[in-house]
This record gives sequence, structure tokens and C-alpha cells, in this order.
Amino acid sequence: MEDKIRRIYVPMTESGFYILFCLQEPQHGYGISQQVKRMTGGAVSISAGTMYGTLSKMEKDGLIRFYREEDKRKLYQITELGKELLSLEIKRIERLYKNSKGEDTDA
Amino acid sequence: MRKTMIRFFTIADYEEEEKWLRKQHQNGLKIVELIPPCIFVFEECEPEDVIYRLDYKNSEQTEEYMQMLKDFGWEYFGHSVGWLYFRKPAKAVESEQDGELFSDNASRVDLVSHVVKTRLIPLAVIFLCCVLPGFIRAIAGEFTGGIGMVFSAFFGIMFVVYVFLIVYCGTKLRKIRAKYDP
Repeated sequence: MEDKIRRIYVPMTESGFYILFCLQEPQHGYGISQQVKRMTGGAVSISAGTMYGTLSKMEKDGLIRFYREEDKRKLYQITELGKELLSLEIKRIERLYKNSKGEDTDA
Repeated sequence: MRKTMIRFFTIADYEEEEKWLRKQHQNGLKIVELIPPCIFVFEECEPEDVIYRLDYKNSEQTEEYMQMLKDFGWEYFGHSVGWLYFRKPAKAVESEQDGELFSDNASRVDLVSHVVKTRLIPLAVIFLCCVLPGFIRAIAGEFTGGIGMVFSAFFGIMFVVYVFLIVYCGTKLRKIRAKYDP
């Protein structure tokens, strides 16, 4: 993985994390926003412009790829690079969570 | 009944423009036509609270983008010099983010950077390459005769307009960026 990509995406923004997480299954922008609302009980809500901008950037950087088109909506799916970054993020968040509970982690 | 208003908003005034359009709609004036750069045509309507939002896309909007905005409940009603205009009734808004085009600071800052790169910098380049040299020649008295007077006046006015726009927009865009990028 290139250092540049790692610098941009680790740590990730909250919207970025949820978008990448949801794209483990093919999905379009509006679908992702609905799924994120459900998952978080409405606490995290991603607006249209932010969704479009994040998807475009992630596609350009190779974290996700175009899957297919459905009535003018593009469906995306995570790539190998995206999966690698997602698992780095999950590990980082797990460590953060454990440490916040006063537990030590052996890095 | 239609009503036409002339109002000039610079590239740094989009947040004011959104508020102004919302206020017009609350007062029973719904915009029906945008004539760039500064003419707004309204039609009388029932007063309603409608949220207006502008996105800057230069010329890069795609079918996918338009579809996504529509999915999120935004009605597209026009564009003007790179800006796209959307609206959504306030009663359809469930959360704060639902009434916004951007839900995180990173994307709000991206918009400002995009405006700076594709609008403010070209403005500064035109100023440095055309307006400023012309203005210096006018001051040095190089333009003579009747036509020369016209040239001198033209460059004088352009100089003032450009200096004002660059200073005003530059300062204001910096302020907007600082608000979202602490």
C-alpha cells in the first residue's frame, strides 16, 4: 500500500468509515446513507454532497470500484485495497475502544 | 405574478444567497428562473419554509450526481456560472444533515478549495496579466487621444473592480474555510 493513501485514510473520517464498511456489499449512495442511519439509530447521517464527494474520491484512489448501474444509480463495491484499509481502521478503533475502557493492548 | 430582482452575489457569498432565497420563499416568492450572473425571476406562491442550497461543480456535474441529489430529496432548479441550485421543503427534513448538502467539515472545506482553484486564482491571473499592465500604462499616460481616454477609464474601473473582488472574496473564502477547518 502506498504511504500517501495510508496518510489520507488512516485515520478515516466517520462518514468515510461507514461508507467503506457498507460497501462490503454492493450499494449505491442513497442506499448507503439509509443503511448508516439504521445502523446508528440516526446518530450518523451523511448528506448528499458529502456522499457523492467521498465515493468519487474513494473510487479515484482505488478503495472501491464501480460494480454496475441501476436506473442511473451507480453501485460500488469495496476493493482489496479498500478491505486492507478497513481492517487497519477496525484494528485502530478496537485499540482505541479497549484503551478507553482502561484495558491495555499489546500492539 | 412574476417579479424580477437584481442582486449580485460573489463566489464567496453562497451561504448568504441560500438564506436570501429561503427568505424570499417564506415571503411567498418562489424562484422560477436564474439569469446569470445576477438576475433572479420569482413567481408569487404560498409562503413556505423551503431550504435552499448551492453546490459548486464548475462544469463537472454528472447524471449520477443529479440522481443522487434527487434520491436525497433535493429538487434541482437551475445553475449559474458553475453553481448548482437545489431546494427541499423544511418539513421533509428529518435531521440537521438532511437539510445540508455537506455533513462533514472535510467536504465543506473541499468546496471552498474548489472555488479558490477554479475561480479566485483565474481572477488573480487575469488581474496580473491584463488589468494591472493596462492600468500601469494608463497611469503612465501611454493612452492618448479620445480613444486613449476611454482605455484609461476602462482600465481604471477594471482595476478597482478586480482589487475589490480579489480582496473581498479572498478574505471571505478564508474565513469560511477557517470556520470549518479549525
